[in-house]
Amino acid sequence: MPPTPADSEHPVPRAASAPSRRSVLMAGAAGAVVVPALSACGGGGSSGAGSGRLRVGVAGGSAEDTLDAHKPTDNTDIARAHNLYAGLCYFETDYSIQMALAESIEPNDDATVWTIRLKPGLTFHDGSPVTADSVVFTLRRVTDPDILGIGAPQLATMDRDNIERVDDRTVRVPFSEPYVTLLDLLAEYSMGIVPEDYDPDNPVGAGPFKLMEFTPGQRSLFAKFPGFWQEGHPRIEELEIINFPDETARVNALLGGQVDAISQLPPSQIEVVRANPNIETLESESGMWTPFTMRVDKAPFDDVRVRQAFRLIVDRRQMVDQALAGYGSVGNDIYGRFDPAYVEDKLPDQRERDIAEAKRLLAEAGHGDGLEVQLVTGPITPGAVAAAQVFKEQARAAGVTVNLKQTNSTEYYGENYLQWTFAQDFWATRNYLSQAAQGSLPDAPFNETHWADEEWVDIVNEARRTVDEEERNRLIQQAMAIEHERGGYIIWGFVNTLDAFHRKVKGLEPSVTGHPLTSYGFHRVRIEE
Amino acid sequence: MSRLILYRLGYGLLTLFVVSLVVFLATQALPGDAARAILGRDATAERVALLRDQLNLNDPLAVQYGKWLAGLFTLDLGDSFANARPVSEYLGPRVTASFVLMGLAALIATPVSLLIGAYSALRRDRAADHATSAVSLVLAALPEFAVGILLILLLSTGWLHLLPPVFAGSASAVLADPAQLILPVLTLVLAVSPPIIRMMRASMIEVLESEYVQQARLKGLPERVVVWRHAAPNAIGPVAQVIAVQLGWLAGGVVAIEFLFAFPGIGLALMDAITTRDIPVIQAVTLLIALVYIVVNLLADVVGLAANPKVRVSAR
Repeated sequence: MPPTPADSEHPVPRAASAPSRRSVLMAGAAGAVVVPALSACGGGGSSGAGSGRLRVGVAGGSAEDTLDAHKPTDNTDIARAHNLYAGLCYFETDYSIQMALAESIEPNDDATVWTIRLKPGLTFHDGSPVTADSVVFTLRRVTDPDILGIGAPQLATMDRDNIERVDDRTVRVPFSEPYVTLLDLLAEYSMGIVPEDYDPDNPVGAGPFKLMEFTPGQRSLFAKFPGFWQEGHPRIEELEIINFPDETARVNALLGGQVDAISQLPPSQIEVVRANPNIETLESESGMWTPFTMRVDKAPFDDVRVRQAFRLIVDRRQMVDQALAGYGSVGNDIYGRFDPAYVEDKLPDQRERDIAEAKRLLAEAGHGDGLEVQLVTGPITPGAVAAAQVFKEQARAAGVTVNLKQTNSTEYYGENYLQWTFAQDFWATRNYLSQAAQGSLPDAPFNETHWADEEWVDIVNEARRTVDEEERNRLIQQAMAIEHERGGYIIWGFVNTLDAFHRKVKGLEPSVTGHPLTSYGFHRVRIEE
Repeated sequence: MSRLILYRLGYGLLTLFVVSLVVFLATQALPGDAARAILGRDATAERVALLRDQLNLNDPLAVQYGKWLAGLFTLDLGDSFANARPVSEYLGPRVTASFVLMGLAALIATPVSLLIGAYSALRRDRAADHATSAVSLVLAALPEFAVGILLILLLSTGWLHLLPPVFAGSASAVLADPAQLILPVLTLVLAVSPPIIRMMRASMIEVLESEYVQQARLKGLPERVVVWRHAAPNAIGPVAQVIAVQLGWLAGGVVAIEFLFAFPGIGLALMDAITTRDIPVIQAVTLLIALVYIVVNLLADVVGLAANPKVRVSAR
């Protein structure tokens, strides 16, 4: 669906300009060029493929691309997982959890047994029914020691041998400890329900699109699945996901009409893209954060005053403006921004830059003559290296010398991953307790700050047992306040996601999940030529 | 001459072996291993251990290399670490795609630059010659990456909107949409041509000043025959070496170009494999690039010898 001159016949609400010579030229050229490619490589596609196919350029992708429902790693894997599979529940654009394949998911009084009830009449792509057995199989597959899905660590307390199929649509899942945040996990993209004869090389799911072609490191093609649980979706016939690890190539492909939408528009290219009247950008706030990580068990950060001083050094507004080009919002050293418990009135005040206080704390901690630290940085997420450079400059005022250790992302996540004394990381939107289970509890798989504050651990563990939401939120707020006071993260900001698409693509809207293009929600998309 | 070729072939095989060993050891020196690279940020200790085990990364280095080398003798390049598919199956369409790209570039660049070089020599010190010299100097000085970016800006996204700026097709069907090939091929042509043009010009000037060309002119032969039958064939000999160097460069230079245009060939596969520490793929691609170098240089020697009657006869 390259832009055609006919586009101009539709009035455009936002940018109602007559087609310029340039856009017509581009339309002509792109039309001539792209249409034959589509009909040639469409494989089993129908003759009308051109009119109903959405082509998306997704950041990332490589030879290690996978279709495995439970092991999506890279962005392109995540994009495919969102469209190929459906879970029991999902995150809406405001991060509320809604039911998907499940009709209800209810805990018992102490959240040690959860009962999952499926909607009636659901089917997989191959026409076989989605049953209680599929749910049992999926939960066991994720935790299979020979497979170890992404969600396995969060299901460590699941009693996988005693998952009980109650009837054709009902499953009872027992846990060895109370588990109040199960919904957070089940809504993740890595928890898609698959049939018992699931084969990742020929994957069948219940997502909005079924697989037609897949070439690792290049592209994948999907066709509409009419039996998708959400009535009336998807609205397009075909979906093509193309890998674009290089951001320039990705933007060029959009400008050249070779794709209809791209994820992760680099802020440096915004002006170029906005200058084109056929292209719209989609900016949305998210709960994604890119912290500095200080190991609380290693000098100098084993002294809480040093951690506090470092947090006071940061000019958060300036860091958002420089490292994220202004596309973000200021953080207050507390994650879980979209958690129901994150209510600003009930949390500590926003931390502001205070060099005098930082100097005083450093002097108290015995670093009155200055302090030299090494900060490990690398291109792990957009803006990470820039943030490190900004921090280096900002720290100078407090007498702190920051030496940057530049790594590439393979080195960063190599042997020393989770062992760096002072480094960076990035985290997606999560609710507080789920995030704590990932990165802050002593047994969390990614506890990069080695945080193990006893008072905090007790409170969080109590919250994890508390089914009553109001009481749980109160506990979470206490835990948030403790991390705000003495934690190992410097959470200076939250990232806004930025995507771009041709204006004929309708139905995408801002979403705080942090996953681009409305959580890769291509089933929402309509194409209006 | 055939002895010489056999001798060169033997050397070539030795070179390939050394390349494979050096590349293998170099990949070991990189920080991180395939298991960690593949799992990336999601690398828990359990998942790393499981994957290391599945990829046999716990074997001693000598055993890993030995297994790979033994497989090579049965023409088995092993399985990719990253996607568990046979390397030959994974690389097959990409090799074809890259050869299409390089082949088109070579087929266009060689005759065109020979013609331009010869023409410059004939028009020596006139405007056309000066213009060719200036342009080829500038192009030779610019990195091919920069040339590609300029072409995209000029012809695709900035000034004119004539050509697709990136390649958005699949490796198994690169010819399905030829328009997408124009920019990458053009960039490669512009990158390899300048030295050939300059060498052809120099060589042609030398030949045109030689006594046998004067003799031919004095005989009263038409200038066309003098130039194309007597001068040009003798000028090509020395140029063959330069052409070989340039075409050999193509195999490596294609990496940057493929990256720029997101072209699904061996170059992108190599960059990908380095990031993921996918040693079987790295080995296969580097060996292939080395092989192209060796074969092209061998061919150049043969052409060089064939173009020189003295050697051709004495080496028989």
